[in-house]
Amino acid sequence: MSDITTLNGGSCIAFKGKNCVAIACDLRLGNQALTVACNRDKVFKITDKTYLGMTGLASDVDTLRSAFRYRLNMYRMKEEREIEPETFAHLVSSTLYEKRFGPYFIEPIIAGLNSNNEPFIAAADLIGCLNFAKDFVVTGTASDKLFGMAEGLWEPDLGPEELFESISQALLGALERDALSGWGAIVRVITPDKVIERTLQSRQD
Amino acid sequence: MSRSYDRALTVFSPDGHLFQVDYALEAVRKGTCAVGVRGKDVVVLGVEKKSVLQLQDPRTIRKTAMIDDHVCLAFAGLTADARILIDKARIECQSHRLTVEDPVTVDYITRHIAGIQQRYTQSGGVRPFGISTLIIGFDANETRPRLYQTEPSGMYSAWKANAIGRSSKTVREFLEKNHKDDMTKDETIKLAIKSLLEVVQTGAKNIEIALMEGHGQVRNLELAEIEKFVEEITKEKEAEAERRRNRLAATAGAQASMS
Amino acid sequence: MECSFGITGKGYTIIASDSNAARSIVKMKTDEDKQKVLSDHLVMTYSGESGDTLQFSEYIERNLRLYGIRNHVELRPRAAASWIRAQIADSLRTRNAYQVNLLLGGFDLPTSEPALYWVDYLGTLATVPFAAHGYGAFFALSTLDRYHRPDMSLEEGLDLLRRCINELKTRFIVDLGTFKVRVVDREGVREVKL
Repeated sequence: MSDITTLNGGSCIAFKGKNCVAIACDLRLGNQALTVACNRDKVFKITDKTYLGMTGLASDVDTLRSAFRYRLNMYRMKEEREIEPETFAHLVSSTLYEKRFGPYFIEPIIAGLNSNNEPFIAAADLIGCLNFAKDFVVTGTASDKLFGMAEGLWEPDLGPEELFESISQALLGALERDALSGWGAIVRVITPDKVIERTLQSRQD
Repeated sequence: MSRSYDRALTVFSPDGHLFQVDYALEAVRKGTCAVGVRGKDVVVLGVEKKSVLQLQDPRTIRKTAMIDDHVCLAFAGLTADARILIDKARIECQSHRLTVEDPVTVDYITRHIAGIQQRYTQSGGVRPFGISTLIIGFDANETRPRLYQTEPSGMYSAWKANAIGRSSKTVREFLEKNHKDDMTKDETIKLAIKSLLEVVQTGAKNIEIALMEGHGQVRNLELAEIEKFVEEITKEKEAEAERRRNRLAATAGAQASMS
Repeated sequence: MECSFGITGKGYTIIASDSNAARSIVKMKTDEDKQKVLSDHLVMTYSGESGDTLQFSEYIERNLRLYGIRNHVELRPRAAASWIRAQIADSLRTRNAYQVNLLLGGFDLPTSEPALYWVDYLGTLATVPFAAHGYGAFFALSTLDRYHRPDMSLEEGLDLLRRCINELKTRFIVDLGTFKVRVVDREGVREVKL
C-alpha cells in the first residue's frame, strides 16, 4: 500500500471498435485509503481525435501533462499539422524513457483515430515500453480486474454505442472490486466526426 | 589609434577616461528629465513624460518603477537598460527579505544598484548601463525620507533634491535656489513640479509624479492633482510678472520725473 | 499531529490551522501562525517538516510578491497553485525534497469564485470544495462530506468548521488547542475568531 504507483489510486481503460475507439477512467484521487477528491479526470485531450489516459502518481500525471502540452504545441507549430496517435505514442514512450533510471511513476494509455480514421490504441509501462494492442488496454490500480472484465466483454467491430456500453460495463465492474478506484467515471467514445463524452454515476464509496 | 580605446571597455584612455562610460553619460543627458525632492516627511519623484502617440497605450510607458513596497526609482537614459536594472533590483529586494526577513534600506539597494552599474564598467564583453537613477524611499521604522542618485560609472550619492537627464543642470540650479529644509508635502510636490516646468513646456499632461509619504505608502498623482499645482504655479508666475512690470513702470516714472 | 482545514462557501474560502509548534512529544509553543498571506486574495496553510515548511513558504511568499511588483497584477489562485505545485514536484526529485503539505485558499476576482487547493509534499494538486491535512482529515472529512454545501453562508461555513474541530476534541487523543482561522472573500483576507 505504500507503493508509490498505487498511492493515489485510479484506473483507465481503452477499447478499440469499428472506426471508433473508447477511453474511460474513474474520478478518484486518494491518499492511500483516504479519498481526497472525487473530480480527478485522468484522460486528457491531445488532439480532436487523440486522447491520453494516465494513472499512477498524481503528481507525475500533472507534471507529464504539462510536459506533453509543451511538446505537442512545439510539434504543432513546427509541423503545422496535428500529431497522429501513432506518433504521439512514440513521443510518450521517448519522454518516459528519458527518465529511465529515475522514472515518472505513471502508466499511460493512448486512444485515437489517425488521419485515415483507423482506430489506434496503445499502452506503455512507466519507462515507455509500448504495447500496441488490437483489442483493449488497461492501466491503474484496478488493472487486473479490468483485464478480466475486458477479456469477457470486448468483441471485435463494435459500433460507437455498443462500444460505449461494453467499456462502461467493463470499467464499472472492475471499480466494484477495487477500493482505490471509483467515485464515478468518464467515458469518451471517439468517432470520425465527434467525440461522445458521458459521465457515469458509480458507487460512491 | 585613439579608436582602440573605444573598443575594449576595460581599457583606460591615456588621460584616465573610460570612453564608454562617458558615452553612457551622454545617453543619460539625452534622456527625459527626472527630479527628486525631499521634504520634511515626504519625498517626491517627478519625471518628464514623452507625449504618448495617438494609438499608444500610456500604461505601458512608465518612467517611475516600484522596487519594493517602500522604494521607488526614476531613471533617465535608455529605457531598455533601465528595465533590466529595475528587475535586478526587484529580485534583490525580495531576496533580501527572504534571507534576513527585513526589507532593504534605501542605502542598501542604492549601493546594490550602483554595484551592478560599476560591474558593467569593469567586465569584458559588456557595455555600461546607459542610465542614471534617482531612488527614493523610507527605511523600516523611520520617518526620514531618503533620496539617492546613481550613475553609469557606479557612483552614488545622497541628496536633498536633484535632477538627472536632459537639462538637468538648469533644473538642479533651480532646485539649489529654491530648496528649503523641512518642506511640507504640498511645498515638496510644488517644488518638484515647478522645477520640471523649467524644462517641460507642455505642462501637466507631460509630468508624472510619484509621492511617497512613509514606509509602504506610495502613489502616483492623478492628472487632476498635478493640474491643480501647475495652475497655482502659473498664477504665481503671472502675479510675479505683474509685480515686476509695476515696479519697472514705477522706476521708469520716477526717472521721468527726475529729469 | 499538525492539522489544517479549508472550506469554500458562497463567495468565500475559510482556511484554518492548529497553532502548535511541537518537537517530538513536547509542545514548544501554542500561538504559532502556520499560515502565510500570499497576496490580497490568497492564503496558504503549511504543515510538515518544521525547517522545510518555513523555508518553502517564505520562498513562495517572496516569489509571488516579486511577480506582483514586476507585473502590476497578482497571480490568480489557480495559477499560483499550479506554480507552487510545480516547485514541490521539482524539488521532489532532488536529494532533499521539501516535505510540506499545503492548503491554498483564495478568491478569484475575475470570476468571483472562491478557490481551494489541496497540495501535498509529492506535488499532488487537487481542486476541492473542502479539504483537510494531517490526522484531522481522518476525523473531519466525513463530517464535511455530510454537511458541506457550496452555497453556505459564512456563518454556516464557520459553524461547519466548529463542528469539525469539535469532532477532533471528542475523538482525537491529542488536544490541538486553538485554531487560527482566516477568511478570504472579495474584500480580501481577514482573520476571524471562532
